[in-house]
Amino acid sequence: MDNKLLGLFIVFTPLSLLSFGGGQAIVADIQYQTVSVHGYLSNAQFADLFAVSRAAPGPSTLIAALIGYQVAGFWGAIVACLGIYVPSSLLVYGIASWWQKHKTSPVKIAVERGLAPVAVGLIFAGALAVVRAALANEPNTIIVALELVTLAICCSIFYFSKIGSYTVVFTTGGLFFLIHLLAF
Amino acid sequence: MAEDIPPQDRPDGARGSALDVLMSFLKIGGSAFGGSTQAMVFREVVDRRQWMSEQQFLVGQAIAQVLPGANPVNLALYMGLKVAGGLGAAAAVFGMVIPAFCIIMAMGFAYSELSSLPVTSFVLHGVAAAGVGATISQGLKTTRKLPKRASTIIVGLGVFVAIGLLRWPMIPVVIVAVPLSIVWAYLDQRRAA
Repeated sequence: MDNKLLGLFIVFTPLSLLSFGGGQAIVADIQYQTVSVHGYLSNAQFADLFAVSRAAPGPSTLIAALIGYQVAGFWGAIVACLGIYVPSSLLVYGIASWWQKHKTSPVKIAVERGLAPVAVGLIFAGALAVVRAALANEPNTIIVALELVTLAICCSIFYFSKIGSYTVVFTTGGLFFLIHLLAF
Repeated sequence: MAEDIPPQDRPDGARGSALDVLMSFLKIGGSAFGGSTQAMVFREVVDRRQWMSEQQFLVGQAIAQVLPGANPVNLALYMGLKVAGGLGAAAAVFGMVIPAFCIIMAMGFAYSELSSLPVTSFVLHGVAAAGVGATISQGLKTTRKLPKRASTIIVGLGVFVAIGLLRWPMIPVVIVAVPLSIVWAYLDQRRAA
C-alpha cells in the first residue's frame, strides 16, 4: 500500500469511533492530523475543503473524501471514506441487530419510551441551530422574511401532504435561483 | 449474529426489499442538504413507504445519534436493517453515501468558481429553509404521537432548551438526559402496572 493511502487510513479509522454526533466532533482533530502532524494540507486548503463539505448534501464527515482526494487522488478519497465509515458502521450494525432481535421486555420498552422525548428535543434544537446559522449574517430583512416564509410554506407542505422531500428541495432551490435572477 | 432478521421477528409495518431500500436512500442521499437528512429519511420511511411507525423511527434515530459515526449513515443503516436485514443495511448505507460522494467531489472541483457568485449562497439558503421546514414538520408529527406524560414533556423540553436555546454541547446533555429519561419511563410503567 502507498504511504499516503496508509497514512489516510491511519488518520481516519480511529476518528470513526470518536465521531460522536457526526463530523463536527472530529473536525478539530482532522485539521490537527492532516495539517500539523502529516502536512498533507495547508491551513487555507483545509478551510476551503471544510466550506465545501458544509455546502454539500450528505453527512459532514464526507470532508474525509475531499481530503483523501486532495492528498492521494481517487483512491485516496475511497480509502478515507472507508476509514471514516466502516468502523462506526460495524458498531452500529452490531448494536442495532442485537436491539431489533431482542424480545420485548419492560426494560426495553422503558429504553424506547425514554429515548423518544430526547430525540424529539434534539430535532427541534437542530432546526433552531440551522435557522440561527442561516440568518446570523443576513442584514437584509427582506431576505430574512423570504426565508422564514419559505420555511413556513415548506413545513406545511411536509406536514399536510405526501410530496417527496427531493421535489420540494429542488423546487425551492430552482425558485430561489429565479428570484435571484429577477430581483438582484 | 445472523445476517438477516426473519420477518416474523420484525415488528409490524417493517417489510420491504433491499432494492426498495436502495432506491429510497439513493434519492435521500442526493437531496438532503446539511441538517435536514433525518427529516428526509423520516418522510420516506414513515410517511411515504410506511415501513415503520413514528415511535419505531425515534428509537432508530436515538441509536444513530448516540453511537459514533455520521448520523445520516447510522440512521440509514438502522432503517435498512429493520426493513430488509443485513442486505438492506448495506443498500441503505450505499444509497446514502454514493450520491453525496459524487456531488461533493464535483463540488470540490467547482467550488473555487461558484463560491464567488452571490447566487450560490442565495440558493443554498433557500434549500436550507426547505430543510428546516422538513425538520420542524417531523418534530411536530412525532410530538403528536408521544404519550402525554409529565416525564415526556419535561425531558423533551429540557433537551430542546439546553441544546437549542442555551447551546450547551450535545454529548454531555444526552449522556445525562438519556439515562434519566429511561429510568423515569421505567418508574412510570411500574406505577401504571
